[in-house]
Amino acid sequence: MTVEWAASVLGLAFGFCLERGGLAFAPKLAAQFYLTDLTVFKVMFSALLTAMLGAFWLDKLGLMDLSQVAMPETFVLPQLVGGALFGAGFLIAGLCPGTSCVAAASGRLDGVAAIAGILAGVAAFNSAYGWIAPFYASTARGAIGFPELLGMSHGLGVALVTAMALGGFWAAERIERSRA
Amino acid sequence: MRERRILAVAAAVLGLGAAAADLRPSADVRHLATEIEAEADHISALDLGARIRSGEPDLRVLDLRSEAEFTSFHIPGARNVSLTKLAAERLPRQGTTVLYSEGGTHAAQAWVLLRVQGYGNVFVLREGIYEWISRVFQPRLAVDASAAERTEFARAAELSRFFGGTPLAGVPRSEVPQGYWTGATPASAPLIEKIHRRGC
Repeated sequence: MTVEWAASVLGLAFGFCLERGGLAFAPKLAAQFYLTDLTVFKVMFSALLTAMLGAFWLDKLGLMDLSQVAMPETFVLPQLVGGALFGAGFLIAGLCPGTSCVAAASGRLDGVAAIAGILAGVAAFNSAYGWIAPFYASTARGAIGFPELLGMSHGLGVALVTAMALGGFWAAERIERSRA
Repeated sequence: MRERRILAVAAAVLGLGAAAADLRPSADVRHLATEIEAEADHISALDLGARIRSGEPDLRVLDLRSEAEFTSFHIPGARNVSLTKLAAERLPRQGTTVLYSEGGTHAAQAWVLLRVQGYGNVFVLREGIYEWISRVFQPRLAVDASAAERTEFARAAELSRFFGGTPLAGVPRSEVPQGYWTGATPASAPLIEKIHRRGC
């Protein structure tokens, strides 16, 4: 039960922060694809960076057992196709699943429409699962991350992603300024 | 702007620190060599059987043989995993991991793999599935057994029955070499042949 309460509190806090950050407003999200406002990129990458550094150091300091954290498995081709579909939906709706919930909760009808689209997609996927299943389970690589893929230590992988993120933030700010 | 710089510097320090913290391999190679030499990495089939029977929590038994071999016969509660999958897998840090293969080579290689990754409490079933079959599943008692051998056999036979095995009493001495119960003598190839012929 603690998990459900924690998830509810974290979910509400996440939704509140998204709303306050203006991420429930589709034009702001769509602006990312036109390279005029890269807030989404910066928010997502800074969340990733915070979680990655936090998890790595909590594990190193013995405050958390990272091996107990579930890691989703990689299926290369199905996830590439899924990613492209997700991107297309994101571009069309101007919202992703989390932000569409926030948009709907704050009374925006496009958010409601996006949620309806998501539910329709879920229903279509589940109905066609028998047909899709072989592809869905193809090109399985197991629960691997960058370090395992590139044959490097976990710490070096963390350092590389940190460098990528900081480089990305710097580039994003420059792009925004040049487009302003 | 100042806050962002501070955050960026903090992230850079933590990121570089992460690379530095993992520069040294998580296991000292010389320490591993000592462990291997002292045979501290071994577990006997009888000990493993007793631990499985006691329902020891967080005891993982990993079978490194092929899926077909695993399907035909495996140690109860074991999980089939290949070396490549094991290398990419994240096992829980707590508990005990016991590895076995057909003989012992793959299991020993997997042991090094896990120890280098920093996992502790990893053990190898010295003679692999053969040891399980010959010591636990079908323990043997020679026709001219000593009192000590009879005591050991009684313990193994009880364990064997728990796992649905068939203890064999009164077999020729040639099938129960000296040191059979102490584990000093490996399950010889002719012995294994006989085991296979019995339908394991």
